[in-house]
Amino acid sequence: MRNVCIAAAQVVTGLGSDLDSLWRGTLAGESAIRPFSRFATGRYHCANASCIEGLRAEGGGSRIYPLLERLLDGFPEVPADCALITASTKGCVDTMERHQAGLPCDPLEIPLGGLLDRIRAKYRLAAPGININAACASSTVALARAASLVAAGRSEAVLVVCLDLVSEFVFSGFSALQALAPEACRPFDRNRNGLTLGEGGAALLLMSRERANREGRPELGIVAGWGASNDATHITAPARDGCGLVQSVRQALKRAGIDAGEIAAVSAHGTATPYNDQMELTAFRTIFGERTLPMHSIKGAIGHTLGAAGGIEAALGLRSLQEAILPPTVGLQDVEEAAEGLVSRLAQPIAGRYLLSTNSGFGGVNAALILRRGEA
Amino acid sequence: MEAYLCGVGWVTGAGFGWGRQGGDCNFDNLPLPALTRKDVFAQPNQRFGRMSEYAKLGLAALAFALRDAGLEEWSEKRATGVVAATRLGCLKTDLEYQSSVLLHGGGLASPNLFAYTLANCFLGDAAILFGLTGSLMAVNEAEPDGLSALRLALEDLALGEAETMVAGTCDLPAPGGLTGVAPYPAGALFLVLSLAPPAKGGYGSVSLADDGRILYRGSNSSSLIDLVQAALAGRATAGIT
Repeated sequence: MRNVCIAAAQVVTGLGSDLDSLWRGTLAGESAIRPFSRFATGRYHCANASCIEGLRAEGGGSRIYPLLERLLDGFPEVPADCALITASTKGCVDTMERHQAGLPCDPLEIPLGGLLDRIRAKYRLAAPGININAACASSTVALARAASLVAAGRSEAVLVVCLDLVSEFVFSGFSALQALAPEACRPFDRNRNGLTLGEGGAALLLMSRERANREGRPELGIVAGWGASNDATHITAPARDGCGLVQSVRQALKRAGIDAGEIAAVSAHGTATPYNDQMELTAFRTIFGERTLPMHSIKGAIGHTLGAAGGIEAALGLRSLQEAILPPTVGLQDVEEAAEGLVSRLAQPIAGRYLLSTNSGFGGVNAALILRRGEA
Repeated sequence: MEAYLCGVGWVTGAGFGWGRQGGDCNFDNLPLPALTRKDVFAQPNQRFGRMSEYAKLGLAALAFALRDAGLEEWSEKRATGVVAATRLGCLKTDLEYQSSVLLHGGGLASPNLFAYTLANCFLGDAAILFGLTGSLMAVNEAEPDGLSALRLALEDLALGEAETMVAGTCDLPAPGGLTGVAPYPAGALFLVLSLAPPAKGGYGSVSLADDGRILYRGSNSSSLIDLVQAALAGRATAGIT
């Protein structure tokens, strides 16, 4: 199997239009969660989200395209033989909303294939590409698939683009499920009471190490291991014992050829819903025992960006490994008992080369990536 | 790398069924059947009636495929993965849900309906019903041959991600006003693929060529429907009745 190198990574989040902004913001403990005016929130349990400043839909089009343009503006050259995987749960959901409200829009934007076509055209990619929908683990599953293709030699390079928007459609749904926090979310807090939505995008270019070296590209990190599984328990709630997440992490460890003791930091899903965070803590205690190691969630800084979450978190994870610092868990006030020794309101040093990044989602989905510090 | 085609299940406008039951899989341009629990499961199933139309369609075809492969019954969870390709996914459910949002400023939005506004949600139901703990995902494909899911499943088998995979397509007809957005055959069709030879005879081998082509019994398959029709046509030769 070949080494899978991440040669480029970029993000757009509520904290800014690049990875540097996200890095600086999370390290400083900033949050982009605030009241917003995209739609009326009077009937919902919450009025906050992390929206991207200045993201406007032109002429009845979807905001996803300006987000995509911002994300890929300045992104390094992508080779034409690159495979393409996008990760989005709802794509042009705002176009669907406009269509349903009888407002001017282009219904051809609604199928997710349109997003693939736009990216293919930009880089003149030969392969058609696919969009992966595995709920809130979509981009982690997409990155796992991309790594798998490169490792096995089926692709030399894979571009993974992850995008999701804040929409009334999704906001109302989580409100109906009573899963939204009234104020900004507080991951792994004893008094956490729900998630806060966010929007964002991530683009990551995965290549075989040989190809990246040949083309003189930087090695931001290595995707050392990956795993995905289903806990086969409930449609919208996680398995209490974290069995699916444990299975995913164990697959990733096995593929990376390391044991859990070599993981130096964890980027958790950490949505701040009571059940998700408890499930994760149970799973991590199963994997790591009583060992203390730095762990965080960035949902308190940029909200839950749904299908884009894993991509954004992987990009930030690479930077964390490079800098040997894990940003704080923004929103955390009173640490959940089971999270003591793991999460912190302060940045934590990383002493090691491997970072575990995990996500879970509706439909019982769990996915895990193990990133190794790059050498460039 | 070759995999064995162990089971086929479908729901189309021409009817529903599975390979060993007899009958053919034709994607005629007819309305899809309104599936009831009794059409799919002999035993009571509390969730089926509450599922979206899209979820019922996908779950039914997937159940038929597992039944055809002799894998419907289970006693321990198994690391089988599923890849479901779709053009419009759960768009019909999305539109129904969004109507409920528009009605009362969102205050009366249906949480049950919202739970089915992800294209992969019926896979969660399948995981629970059939004890599947592999990687389960939906993919939006843009190619007309319907082979994306099969290609991904064969890659998973080749890469050692699973020993058994279920792969196929699931799409409702395009909702009114959106019929031009993505021409495709409506219906659901799933195949069970395994690295191990099936205990009770199978439909032959499926493989993934280095250039991405799908081969059935060594011959190029131009579409998922063609592959399945070839497999069903060979039932008598393969000793499948």
